Amino acid sequence: MKRLAAALGALLLMGMAQAQTRTLVLSTYGLNNDLFKKHVYEPFKAKCGCEIVLETGNAADRLAKLEARKANPNVDLVQITDFLALEASNKGLLETIDFKKLKNLGEVYDFGRDPLRNQQGVAYTVYSVGLVVRTDKPSGTIASWKDLWKPELKGHLMLANITGNQGLAQLFMVDKAWGGVATDMSTGLAKLGEVKANTVTYYTQTAQMTALFAQDEAWVAPVGRFGWLNLKKTGKPLKWVVPKEGQVGMMNVMSIVKGSKNADLAHQLIDFWLSKDVQTALANDLADSPINRNVKPKADAVEALTWGKEQIESLVFMKPDMVARERAGWVTQWNRMIAK
Amino acid sequence: MIRSRTPWWLLAPALAFVGLLFALPVIALLAGAFKVDGASLGWGLAHFTAFFDEPLHRQVYWRTLRIAGLATIVSALVCYPAAMAMVKVPPPWRGLLTALVILPLMVSPIARTYAWIVLLGRNGFANALAQAAGVIDEPVTLLFTEGAVFVGLLQLMMPLMLLSLVSALENLPADVLAAAQTLGANRWQTFTRVVLPLTQEGLIVGGTLVFTGCVTAYITPALLGGPKVLLLETLLYQKVNVASDTVAASVIAVLLLATTLVVNQLLKRVARGAGR
Repeated sequence: MKRLAAALGALLLMGMAQAQTRTLVLSTYGLNNDLFKKHVYEPFKAKCGCEIVLETGNAADRLAKLEARKANPNVDLVQITDFLALEASNKGLLETIDFKKLKNLGEVYDFGRDPLRNQQGVAYTVYSVGLVVRTDKPSGTIASWKDLWKPELKGHLMLANITGNQGLAQLFMVDKAWGGVATDMSTGLAKLGEVKANTVTYYTQTAQMTALFAQDEAWVAPVGRFGWLNLKKTGKPLKWVVPKEGQVGMMNVMSIVKGSKNADLAHQLIDFWLSKDVQTALANDLADSPINRNVKPKADAVEALTWGKEQIESLVFMKPDMVARERAGWVTQWNRMIAK
Repeated sequence: MIRSRTPWWLLAPALAFVGLLFALPVIALLAGAFKVDGASLGWGLAHFTAFFDEPLHRQVYWRTLRIAGLATIVSALVCYPAAMAMVKVPPPWRGLLTALVILPLMVSPIARTYAWIVLLGRNGFANALAQAAGVIDEPVTLLFTEGAVFVGLLQLMMPLMLLSLVSALENLPADVLAAAQTLGANRWQTFTRVVLPLTQEGLIVGGTLVFTGCVTAYITPALLGGPKVLLLETLLYQKVNVASDTVAASVIAVLLLATTLVVNQLLKRVARGAGR
């Protein structure tokens, strides 16, 4: 009888321990999750004694879900592009982060510490959008965003569609290069309209862009750094060009969802993610370019990352509040011009 | 009494399933297009007028109708003779031919569309052929044009028309053709007065399938047309995933459904009219 009671007691204790295991829900992209599992989730789970559950999907879907569950959020932490995080913040979906709890924040590049300017997001990675060119074609001499207007590129100029981040970056840099005053992007839009006839297409996916380089359709395109490695694998004579006006730095941020019951764990995970060790492991496996300035990736990883003096110092940033506010208008203008 | 109720009980699970998981969500989705804040009763057509006030949207709608309509007509023109030939082939060979027709439907639409990208590219097969034949000197742009989208959709949807017509023609009594010819009808008269009226159901079904398939296809216009050749379906994707504009997306969904129903009715008229 005593033994039975002891067994029951043990079972009860186990049950309680189980009930106390907390679960942190992270809303994130679907990409490279095996690498994140290896370098972030598993070590963090061991540290915190908690569970991590992922909710993956494209940014628009995940934002819509956050909004739908506003009154009773089921997600604790969200990873998303900075301007989309600001849109979520403007809808009252995000919590202010206690920066004092983030020991590793000091090691983050200045531009990544508070990109939303309201302490509701911390960047965990940055990638550049520059130009990739064929070196054996007239595109080989391209050194500026303005060089995309060279008539010799006719039929082989590939641009990014505005529906993606590379498209936004390209519009921003073109507008800047031709002396526009951002906000309404009228200069950039008008200039891109001029080369519509030269443009083979406006790509929407990195894989599609890569295929068109592989088939000699494209000689030049604005490219996000994460796509560079696959482009090199096409075997075509390609090089990465940092245009003299600079390249756009795009940042993904981590934000805590308003009403999260696990805000303490969320702070811990953010801090863990920013740590030099985690950022180095992720960089070496090419999961993400580091945001921690103390990371030194291994030599053969550097080429595929946004890392090092040349890459980091060339970065120009779009103001997330401007993008969040104006983006819908740019898309309308763009469609009117491109889809006619 | 009991006997007459039994079928309903048997149907109940299926009805509940369709009602809860299909009809209700679809109605909720479509209703979003008609819900207007501030209108009397809260319903109205304001979202539709706003949608069509944008010249781009009119253009996209017209382009979608044009490409889908043309694909339907061309596939009917191409498939009638092909179907008539197929039903004359002895059964074992007919099975093989049918399998060959169905085969492209079994290839993933993405792989098939990428094949078109290779064929229609500047260094692709189509340009090489035209250059070898001396039709053109320099490679021409075929990809990312309305023509590319049309060809891709035509290839994708044509089997549906062909199979509908073959099954309609198989049910055509063999004697009627002989009878018509005995009574002095030439080939054209035999076709328009006998074959067409008796196979109109196949034409209506095939036409509706082809047209609906064309207006609702996403991968083909997205990959072969791109942002330059925006169609309703690719616009719908943009509205949801980029602009988070679910109202405009509902409007497009209603337009797609309404257009398909109208075209189905039109096809019935045309098929019956031709039969008179």
